[in-house]
Amino acid sequence: MFKRIYNFVLLFKEYAVFSLLLVVSLVLMALNDNTQIRHVRGVATVAFGIAQNQLAFVPRYFSLRRENDLLRRTNVDLADEASQLREAKLENDRLRRLLGVKETSRYPLVAAKVVGKNLTLLRNTLTLNAGKLDGVMPRMPVVGDGGLVGVVSNVSDHYSVVRILYNADFRASAKNQRARVDGILAWDGDDLLLTNVAKNLDVVVGDTLVTSDYSSTYPPNIRIGTVSGVAEQQGSLFKRVLVLPGVDFVKLEEVFIVSFVPDSERMDLEQSLQQKSRR
Amino acid sequence: MEHYVRSVFAILVLLLLQTTFVPFLSIGGFLPDVLLIWVVYIAVTRGQLEATITGFAVGLLQDAVTSQFFGLSALTKTLAGFVAGYFFNDNLTEQTLGSYRFLLVTFLSSFVHNILYYGIFLQGIQDALLTTMVEFSIAASLYTALMGVFPMFTFVRKYRFSQSL
Repeated sequence: MFKRIYNFVLLFKEYAVFSLLLVVSLVLMALNDNTQIRHVRGVATVAFGIAQNQLAFVPRYFSLRRENDLLRRTNVDLADEASQLREAKLENDRLRRLLGVKETSRYPLVAAKVVGKNLTLLRNTLTLNAGKLDGVMPRMPVVGDGGLVGVVSNVSDHYSVVRILYNADFRASAKNQRARVDGILAWDGDDLLLTNVAKNLDVVVGDTLVTSDYSSTYPPNIRIGTVSGVAEQQGSLFKRVLVLPGVDFVKLEEVFIVSFVPDSERMDLEQSLQQKSRR
Repeated sequence: MEHYVRSVFAILVLLLLQTTFVPFLSIGGFLPDVLLIWVVYIAVTRGQLEATITGFAVGLLQDAVTSQFFGLSALTKTLAGFVAGYFFNDNLTEQTLGSYRFLLVTFLSSFVHNILYYGIFLQGIQDALLTTMVEFSIAASLYTALMGVFPMFTFVRKYRFSQSL
């Protein structure tokens, strides 16, 4: 191999020596620092820049590999950031809607996050991260951006459990906002229903339901949901009115606890009447 | 070996001449380059390789003495020696040395030498670079080629003498 190189150099020894001496001369010239060399350096830099620019389309493997790695890392970082931003946007949207609830509420509200859900039983509940120390008490209504969520059933210092609409023990006095027809909102284990609606009353699909003035637990006019179906029941005086709640319990994350305390005078009067009738 | 010693001695003498006596022959600021004539003589008599190396050595010495632009004369004289080397023909050495061909080779080598020399030397100094470069190169090359007439006869005699030995 070396012999072949040697023979090749020997064959073109004039050119080899000439090239070598040219290189030595150029190196010696480059050691100068005069006007000419500075000018030549400037011209060379411009020429090199132009050449490099013209040859930029030629792929450079190693730099491409480095660039690829960098882009991958950047991609992961950006995907993470985008995910966080999406999450923040969704949270922002939810909080804006909740803010709307807060602004329209006549009662003080306690903000809480849903920290636990139990949606697979007959007595479904939510756990909130607000408790006694936040001013939460049992029987306080809980609302979300879509309307009524349920009622507080148990409270500890920092947490509270909410009995939601899809709970067999839940009851609420409700009113058809359009037809002013009242009924009792209850869950039968399968469907959310507006019960005690007589057959002759005007209830149609799409009607909005709100809490009634008759309720001692809920303030009036909290949105509950809409009528999703109306059916006649054989051998019954009442219609079967299906209700679609305004709240999506699966996606629910933030709620407000309404610091609503029932009118004690009214409660006392109603209780005394009940006691009298029992005697 | 003796040839190389004589060659080195001749270079030193010519260098001395170039830096002391030749400036008195200046016409319009242009000087003949006696060292270049020597390089051409080496090219015609000894060949391209030796002329290239001689050109480099002579140029380097000239750079060291003039300390004007170190490396520039080395570069240009290397190129001149290499170009002049193309006119080396072992069978026609005498004819080349004793005829106008020597002057033509001297002019051509000198022109290549000067065009590169001024091309670099005038960078960033002269505005109309190309025109000045060509004008300077032609003038200086003509003067050098003209001065080649004198050594031409010396060289041919010297060459004939060395061949007769």
